[in-house]
Amino acid sequence: MTKTGWAWVWFGFLLALDIAIPWFALTHVEKMSGAFLFWTIWVVLAIISAFVIFLRWKEARR
Amino acid sequence: MSITFWVWFGIAVYIAAGLAIALMARRGLGRGMSEFFLANRKVGGFVSALTYSATTYSAFMMIGLAGLTYLGGVGALGFELTYLCGMFMMVFFLPRFWLVGKKYGYVSPMELLSDRYQSKWVGATAAILALVFLVPYGAVQLMGVGYLMNGISQGAIPVVAGIIIAVLCAIAWSNIAGMRSVAWTDAFQALVMIVTSAAVLGVVVVALGGFGSFFSRLESATPGLLTVPTAGGVWNINMFIGLALPWLFFLISNPQVSQRLFIPKSVTAMKQMLGGFLIFGFIYTLISVLWGFGATLLVPGLENADLATPTLLALPIIPMGLAVIVMIGITAAAISTIDSILLTLSSVWARDIHKGLINPRVSEKRELKIGQWVIPIMAIIAFVFAWWAAGKTGLSFMIAPLSSAASAGLLMAVPAIFGAFFWKRATAPGAIVSCIVGAIVVLLFQLTGWKPLGWWPGTWGFIVCAILFVGVSLATKPPKKKADEFIGYLKQKLDKGNFI
Repeated sequence: MTKTGWAWVWFGFLLALDIAIPWFALTHVEKMSGAFLFWTIWVVLAIISAFVIFLRWKEARR
Repeated sequence: MSITFWVWFGIAVYIAAGLAIALMARRGLGRGMSEFFLANRKVGGFVSALTYSATTYSAFMMIGLAGLTYLGGVGALGFELTYLCGMFMMVFFLPRFWLVGKKYGYVSPMELLSDRYQSKWVGATAAILALVFLVPYGAVQLMGVGYLMNGISQGAIPVVAGIIIAVLCAIAWSNIAGMRSVAWTDAFQALVMIVTSAAVLGVVVVALGGFGSFFSRLESATPGLLTVPTAGGVWNINMFIGLALPWLFFLISNPQVSQRLFIPKSVTAMKQMLGGFLIFGFIYTLISVLWGFGATLLVPGLENADLATPTLLALPIIPMGLAVIVMIGITAAAISTIDSILLTLSSVWARDIHKGLINPRVSEKRELKIGQWVIPIMAIIAFVFAWWAAGKTGLSFMIAPLSSAASAGLLMAVPAIFGAFFWKRATAPGAIVSCIVGAIVVLLFQLTGWKPLGWWPGTWGFIVCAILFVGVSLATKPPKKKADEFIGYLKQKLDKGNFI
C-alpha cells in the first residue's frame, strides 16, 4: 500500500476509536479520567500524526 | 460608571483598532480578483495560521460550544475534537488545493470544481449550496454577538444592537482591502480571542479552587455530564454523528476556509499555517469546553444554554474590565468569521455565478466591483435571518446545532471535492445530481424534523449524496483529458514536494 493509503487507514482507525471508546468502553466512567481524558489524548495523537507527515514537506526545486 | 458604558467603550476601542489595521492592510492592495480575494497568494505562515483560526473559530466556541457543554456535558468536547481530528485530512487536501490553485489560478473552490469537471454548472451548483447554507451560519455569528452584549449589559443593550454592530464591522473589514484586511484583522482578532479566553478561564478556575478542585466538584456535582450518552439524555450517538459528520469535513465543505488553502506564499508558510492552527484549535477547544463546565457549577439552571457565557461573565467573581475584554474577544471571534464568509460569498457570486453563468465575458474590473457590491447584500440577508432566529428558543435554534445544520447542507459538496482530487471516473452530472438531491434531502429533513432511524438530516443527506455521486458518475462520461491532466499534474508535484 502507498503512504497515502496508510495515512487514510490510520485516519479511519482514529475515527473508529472516536466512537468505540467513549460511546461503548467508557460509558459508565463518570469522571474526568473517562471520556474527557480519552478525547483529549486521542486528538493529541491525531495532531502529532499530522505533524509527523507535514513536517516532511519541502519546497519543490524548479 | 456602569457596565453598559464600559461595554460601549470597549466596542469603540475594538472598532478603532480594527479599522486602523484594515486601513494599514489597504496600503499594499494591488488590482484584480486574485489580489482582492486571495491577497495575491502571498500570505505568510503566521498570518495564514491566525486567519485560518479566526475564520474557523467563531462565536460558536465560547458561546455555542460552551452552551452545548453546559447543556449536555462532555459529548460537546468529543464533537468539537472530532472536527480537529478531521484536520488530519489537511495533509491530503492542503497541498492539493494549494498546488492546483497556483497552477490554474483558481479564486474560489467552486471554480476549481468547474474546471476539473469541465462544467460551469458544477461550480454554480456548489456556489448556490454555499449561498443558501452559509447564510444561517453567518447569522449564528451575529446572534452570538447580540446575546453576548445583551447578557453582559444585563439587558441594557438590545440583542439587535449587537447584531447591527457585528454586521457593520464585517462589511467594513471585508470591503476595505478584501483578503488583506480580513487576514490582518483576523490575525489581530485571533490573538485577542485566545489571550482573553485563557485569562478569564483562569479567573474562573481560581474561583473554583484550582483545577484539582474544579474537576472534583464537577465529578461530584454533575457526574452525568462526564459520560456519553449523557445521563440527562441530551447526547445520544445519533445526535453525536449528526452534529460531528458535517464538522468532520468542515475543512473542505466550507468555502470560507477551503479558499484559505490557496493563500500561503510557500510550502513553509503552509506548514506554519497547519501547525499553528492545530495548536490554536486544541487550546481554544479545551478553554471553551472547560468554560462551559465552569458555568454548570457557577450558574446552574439557565433556561437558554447559549446564555451561559454572558451570564457567567456578569458574575461578581469576574472583574468588570476582564468581562468587557472577553466580550471583545468573543465579538472578534464572531466578526472574524462573518467577514470571511462575506468575502468568500462575494467572490463566489462574482466568479462562479456572474462570470460562470450570466456574463462569461465580463472584465476583471467589473467582476471585482460586482463582488464588492455583493458583500453588503449578503450581510443584510444574514442580519434578517439572525434577527428572526434570535427570537426563537429550543435545541434547533441554539448556536451549536444551528451551525452544524448549516454545515450539513455544505457537506453535500464533499463527494464532488473528493472525486475531483482522487477519482478520475468522477463526472459533472454525478457532482451536480449528488449536490442538489443531497441538499434537498437535508433541507426537507431539517424543515420537517423527520429523523428516520433517529439519524440526523446531515447523515441521511450524506449517504444519499455519496451513493448518487458514485452511481451517476459510473453511468456518465468523465472528462478524461482534464482528469488525466489535473490528477497527473498533482501526482508529479506531490512526489517532488514529499507530500502524500
